[in-house]
Amino acid sequence: MSKTGVEAALARGVEILDRFLPLKSWLLFPVLYSACVWAVRRVFDYRERIMAWQVWLDPEFVRTKPDDFILAFFRGHTALAGEYAGEIARGDVRVLRAAFPALYPVFGLEDAFLKALFKAEIDAADYRTIVVEFAARTARARDDIEPAAADPEFWKALVAIGAEAASLGLHLLKDEEVQDLIVGLIKGPVVLGPTVPPEA
Amino acid sequence: MGDMIPVSHFSARTRSAVVVLGLAAVLSAACLTDLHRAKRHYAEGRELAAALRTEEAISSWKRSLSESERACLRKPSAHSFTVKGLAEIQLGLWREAEASFLEAFGLGFDKGEAWAADAALAGLAASFEEIGLAAPALRIHAQILDRSDFKPALMFAAERRTNLVLAGAAGLETKERERALAALLKTLDRLVDRDFACGLYHYLHAQVDGHLGDLRRSYEEAVMARELGLPTAKIGRDNDNQLVYCYIRLAGALPAEDRAAFASAHAAWARKWGWRDDRTPAWKKE
Repeated sequence: MSKTGVEAALARGVEILDRFLPLKSWLLFPVLYSACVWAVRRVFDYRERIMAWQVWLDPEFVRTKPDDFILAFFRGHTALAGEYAGEIARGDVRVLRAAFPALYPVFGLEDAFLKALFKAEIDAADYRTIVVEFAARTARARDDIEPAAADPEFWKALVAIGAEAASLGLHLLKDEEVQDLIVGLIKGPVVLGPTVPPEA
Repeated sequence: MGDMIPVSHFSARTRSAVVVLGLAAVLSAACLTDLHRAKRHYAEGRELAAALRTEEAISSWKRSLSESERACLRKPSAHSFTVKGLAEIQLGLWREAEASFLEAFGLGFDKGEAWAADAALAGLAASFEEIGLAAPALRIHAQILDRSDFKPALMFAAERRTNLVLAGAAGLETKERERALAALLKTLDRLVDRDFACGLYHYLHAQVDGHLGDLRRSYEEAVMARELGLPTAKIGRDNDNQLVYCYIRLAGALPAEDRAAFASAHAAWARKWGWRDDRTPAWKKE
């Protein structure tokens, strides 16, 4: 396996996808990462899968949870408990309830697409920005992907990128390593960790 | 070779008839194949959904819809329109499903008319909700729940009605809220009685029990929901979170001797479900 080979394949992927999603570098990450996950799993109906995430983006049951469930969620998540320690101590359910519809799908339900969409904020432990950005960024993701999704060449390119990276040993990298590779290609240099057997 | 009759021996009319018959046979076989594939993809979608592989399930239903559309074009039949309607329902295309079931009824599927009516009502309720009119949507959901025998419409109405009532109850005074939730619970009890094997009804019951503070019942219903299967991965994950929430709250409130027995029973479930420990479902990364 060649890590540099995978990195080079993903770099070409970033370049190609950039043509379909101009000036939308934040959308490159979730789309390319999804392609990598599915390439490893040898799934070929990328189109349905990319578009399917919209179907269950924001389940309504999230908004109707009782206060005690919301408090338990914030207390039970180490990082969020730290960030919202003040609100939890004061029992300020109003603020926690307002943050819950953004944070529960990401950290409680672990939606892969949303985690990818907010990877920079998650890595920076900038949870309040996720809350502020959630509605606008998910709406933009829905809108911005539409023109590219209507172009059959976009899907062909996505399949080709995933297949090339897979053929070069993508499956031997951990999820986090693949994510770091892509982030590095989009935003700067990448630090590669040790390789391990596949988790996907 | 000497026994073979040259093609030129047949009249032009006979040759045309043979060609037409041949084409009909080929088209008929192709049509059967489309329908067969549509049914297979639909069944796959159901299996994938039961395994909480939602994205793959949606993908299968889209393929089922595409194959059934082809079958309906090539050789319209009650069967092909019914499969098309069912795939449309799984994709939330209620209006299209209504039209498909009406076609199926016209071609001899007796239940098609009733299913079309239920699909029309569900589509109407969804439209009301989209424009923010919760009250008429609630009335329609109630009507579906009272009268329908069509399971997809019943599941849709049960889920939507539960969400709308829970959302509305949040702004009510305590007594009014309890009354609204008690009425909802009665509806869900009826649904559970009618179809005990439907995991979604138990999940919804667990949610309402949680709102009423009946965490023991909520836990039990969530266990049943998990055992019976849920329609999407997100609902499945939310149900797991509900189980963990109830478990922690109940274990903390029980006397020591009961707590040990409860913890042991919960640990057995967690092992059965392949959880990493009694509070961490397998899908959780943190």
